[in-house]
Amino acid sequence: MLQRTARILPLLAPVHLLILSVIVLPSLYVVWLSLNTSSFGQAPSFVGLQNYWRVLADPAFHSALWNTVVLVVVAVHLELAVGLGMALLFASGLPFRRSLLVAVLAPYAVSEVTAVVMWRFLFDPDAGPITLALRALGLPTLDWSFEPSHAMGLIGLLTIWLHLPFTFVIVYAARLAIPAELYEAARIDGATRWQAFRRVTLPLLGPAMLIALLFRYIFAFRLFSEAWLLTKGGPARSTEVVAIYLYQEAFSFNAFGPAAATAWIMVLASLLLAGAYVLLLRRGGVAHAH
Amino acid sequence: MRTERLLIGAGKALAVIAILFWSLFPILFIAMSSLKPGQDIFAVPPKWLFAPTFKHYAELWRSWGVFFDGLLNSFVITLGATLLAIVASACAGYVYSRNSGRWLGASLLGLIIVRLIPPIVVTLPLFPIVNALGLSDTHLVLILLYATFFVSLGTVLMRTFMDQIPRELDEAASIDGASRLTILRKVIMPLAMPGVLAVAVFVIVFSWNEFLFAFIFTATKAKTAPLVISEMIGSIDGVDWGILFAAATVQLVPVLIFVVFMNRYLVAGLTAGSTKG
Repeated sequence: MLQRTARILPLLAPVHLLILSVIVLPSLYVVWLSLNTSSFGQAPSFVGLQNYWRVLADPAFHSALWNTVVLVVVAVHLELAVGLGMALLFASGLPFRRSLLVAVLAPYAVSEVTAVVMWRFLFDPDAGPITLALRALGLPTLDWSFEPSHAMGLIGLLTIWLHLPFTFVIVYAARLAIPAELYEAARIDGATRWQAFRRVTLPLLGPAMLIALLFRYIFAFRLFSEAWLLTKGGPARSTEVVAIYLYQEAFSFNAFGPAAATAWIMVLASLLLAGAYVLLLRRGGVAHAH
Repeated sequence: MRTERLLIGAGKALAVIAILFWSLFPILFIAMSSLKPGQDIFAVPPKWLFAPTFKHYAELWRSWGVFFDGLLNSFVITLGATLLAIVASACAGYVYSRNSGRWLGASLLGLIIVRLIPPIVVTLPLFPIVNALGLSDTHLVLILLYATFFVSLGTVLMRTFMDQIPRELDEAASIDGASRLTILRKVIMPLAMPGVLAVAVFVIVFSWNEFLFAFIFTATKAKTAPLVISEMIGSIDGVDWGILFAAATVQLVPVLIFVVFMNRYLVAGLTAGSTKG
């Protein structure tokens, strides 16, 4: 036993050292920071849960939380719906499927910064081709540079564009894993397309969709770059998301305590979602997803 | 029946066009616009035919030398993070693939849970620490951060791919007197190449594109290409879109080509990483 431990520890060490020193210990230090007032971790004084109350009572935090939740709920579900539609389309047999798949994956290679450059220009109020096209069709355009709700819409669009490849691939792989015989049998039993979808496809894709959702909830909840690069949280903090609120508290207002409290609120929210994932994993529901 | 077929075919064709437009139009549009002569970028309606020019690229080279320094920094950091993540994940993945036990199971679960902590959380405590260690604005700090945020997924992926390599090979090599490290290097790693490539795709795409850590932990010396582009966006009044499009295209094209060629490993990694880990 001891011998085995001695043999495998050196191989495990690099990963665990990295994780411990870069993520775990710093996260625990954040707990301590959140219970003190300090700027940049200097000259701390213990204040208990005061930072948490301050954050939870801050209207700016409420609006950041609201923006984040709206983004997570609307963008992620839209993304899943589109990803599901695309997965079913691909599975129904398409010519040039391999090349189409590559095209669909392309946004995965694009950085948030470059995506912001693209979408900012496409929706530029004066010269953006999409704005011009919408206007030509008599449709409403996005005034994202001064209308907060429109800016949130653009951030949502951007984040869906960047992450659709992920959601699509997860659902598509699960769809490909459903044996064709099941559809065969359903057809023989006289099931319509819709019934086959309701009774075969949806239940079997359920676990994969749930996993895609959980991952995307967790990742959308920490969204920072898209929103920061597009609006910097403005005008007047109206498009702040939780990660931007944290950044502003820490690095603009030197309020490390409240920032740390915000950080732990984010960790707890993520772990809560992760808990659901682990529960799912334990139940073995995930086995179907592959 | 025939009309139904035709309708379905037409619907599919429309859907495919919509998907292609959605995925590729933004990319093609900026790449194309970077080649448009000055005013044509703002032409209403947009010009689809124009005499391409590399003027903006030349201008980028002349007035934004810092962007090319950024590209070099991005390259060094991406390379470092990828090597570190692959070596660390391969070692750990090998252990998790060939051994089992309560502690090992728990520690693997721990790795997965830790991965769910938002990166911005660790910037708070690391900021003073990195400064105190004199690591601020160095390649090393970003290499360590990027590698760390991918070793969890990396370990899970390596384990998944190594599970498919028969244990008999390890045993045969071990009977021949090979040490664990030798077996890993000479027997397992060559066979686990698909796993290595899957890990590499994730780390490379992430490191090449990352913004938040670069924004917080670098200032001048180790500034990455995305950070320089963000500064160009910030000074949009002074910078013209042509140069910005050129920079965005230069930053995007290498990693886009990489993803196109490695798409099968990306897909394999995504499915293995999300469902098994």
